[in-house]
Amino acid sequence: MSPTTAMYVAQAIHGLAYGMLLFLVASGLTIIFGMMGILNLAHASFFMLSGYFCYTIITLTGDFWLALLIAPVGAGICGLLVERFLLRKVHVQGHLAELLLTVGLMLVILEVVKAGWGTESMMIKMPNGLDGLISVANMTYPVYRLFVIGLSLVVLGIMALILYKTRLGMIVRAAVSDADMVSALGINTPLVFMVVFGFGTWLAGVAGVVAAPLLTVFPGMADQIGMDAFVVVVVGGFGSLIGAFVVALFLGELNAYGIQFIPRLAPVLMFAFMAIVLAFKPMGFFGERE
Amino acid sequence: MRNNLSRWIYWVVGLVILAIYPQVVGIYYTNVFVGFAIFALYAVTLNLLLGYMGVLSFGHAMFFGVGAYSTALALTHIQGFPLLPALLVGGLAGAMLALILSPLLVRVSGTAFAMLTLAFGQLIFVLALKYREVTGGEDGVGGYPTPSFNIPGVVSIDMTDQINFYYFAVAVIIVCLWVLWFYTKTPFGSLVVGVRDNAMRIDYLGFKLSHTKAVNLIVSGCFAGIAGAIYALFQNLVSTLGVLDIGTSFAPILMAYIGGLGSFFGPIVGSGILHLLEDVTFRITEQIELVNGLVFILVVLYAPMGIVGLLRQAKAKWFHKEKVS
Repeated sequence: MSPTTAMYVAQAIHGLAYGMLLFLVASGLTIIFGMMGILNLAHASFFMLSGYFCYTIITLTGDFWLALLIAPVGAGICGLLVERFLLRKVHVQGHLAELLLTVGLMLVILEVVKAGWGTESMMIKMPNGLDGLISVANMTYPVYRLFVIGLSLVVLGIMALILYKTRLGMIVRAAVSDADMVSALGINTPLVFMVVFGFGTWLAGVAGVVAAPLLTVFPGMADQIGMDAFVVVVVGGFGSLIGAFVVALFLGELNAYGIQFIPRLAPVLMFAFMAIVLAFKPMGFFGERE
Repeated sequence: MRNNLSRWIYWVVGLVILAIYPQVVGIYYTNVFVGFAIFALYAVTLNLLLGYMGVLSFGHAMFFGVGAYSTALALTHIQGFPLLPALLVGGLAGAMLALILSPLLVRVSGTAFAMLTLAFGQLIFVLALKYREVTGGEDGVGGYPTPSFNIPGVVSIDMTDQINFYYFAVAVIIVCLWVLWFYTKTPFGSLVVGVRDNAMRIDYLGFKLSHTKAVNLIVSGCFAGIAGAIYALFQNLVSTLGVLDIGTSFAPILMAYIGGLGSFFGPIVGSGILHLLEDVTFRITEQIELVNGLVFILVVLYAPMGIVGLLRQAKAKWFHKEKVS
């Protein structure tokens, strides 16, 4: 393979890795939005929180895999508590109040993290065996990014199984299309909401831990992926998992090649893309409602 | 008649308090007040969209920031640029931006509107950050001359004097607020409220829905730009992190919500409360944002109608009998 092609392929895999991470974050966001009508602005904060949990667990035990197991669960539990004790109370007041509540939450989590862990960025070592380079057909590539893609695919598979093969998944899908109707059928929708919210934050948490060695852990680590996840949800269509998947991968590639060719404008590309799509399809590509 | 008289008394008392305020409290609180007044105007312009038209602008800082940058750049690059045109440039820039974006923004509402404004806000933020040769990037534009308030042959007031600037800023902001208050009371203002309450009905009544929305957007953008222009004159420094970042977009939402969305004066009260709170918090801790976030959560949980809403509730409760009769 010539160096130029190798570079293109490397960028493509880079984009794929970022796109998969983006999908992990955006999938939780879009399910939560589809079911509860809440655009959770604090979603990316759980991503960051999980990164910090991961850092603490690694400094205590030195085991990345333990961190990968526990930190997202910690973030998920925080999500459960937030839903149970804050969001549920303001549900009656409508979407604006919920949106603003998550804004407040975002600020609080950010400041608590700054107070607890400080503001400097902290390195997380990649686990042994994944920190090397792999050499295929005349090009080298870091193993860890391939691991990111693989793990995301596994999580995606589990999620698809739960959503499409279990009773809980059926209820969730039904609630995404009409939560009131599901409630009228005698299903405890507040409980389902809580579980789904927790699950969504868990997904963000997984992404946070996986991204931690790549990004390093610092208070702004979720800024870009958080914004991008919103773009994904909005462009893909609120509540649409397929839309989120397609758009996340597309944005991953857009980002990777954008940085390659027009580094100065790369961050703008996302928003320009979103603005154009929204202008012509206010419901997003796969959305069924606003 | 009595009502009219008491209204005049309120006005006179208010103006007298404003006039003697800097003499009483000293320079520090004079500047705090100017900051409060700028954000009060800015929050009112946000409320024109949120409270009156029912759409949430998540990127309102773009109007404020573009106004501030235009004024700062005009003062930097044009020798002897006078004071009032400097304000107009800011307002015009905000209005122009709203005009350019309005064909897109009027097409959407609800969450899509919030996201679209967020996207444009971020777009402009990143552009301002990256195009250093125009905007100075993170360092911003600063150190430009503050022109004097000049009426040839009559008067020339030095605006670098902070007390003078206080009078000027407060006067401009009161005029702007009065214009906006008047604007919300016009038939067109009622039309905007109608768009919020039942857009389809307004459409069927034969009004142009998109034109109504666009005009309201432009008015909001224009006055947000003027607020930004005053900010630029006040701080003598405009940087991306101060006027275009997402915190600057959230601040007026918080103010409007704390004060109460349903009223014109709510955002002004909200701005006052936040500035007082910030002043008190600074004495105890550096973590302004933490307090802001907590206030946000508490207000949403316990006072969804805002402070003005609480007052109205209390009034309705305590003066119940008088209300009924």
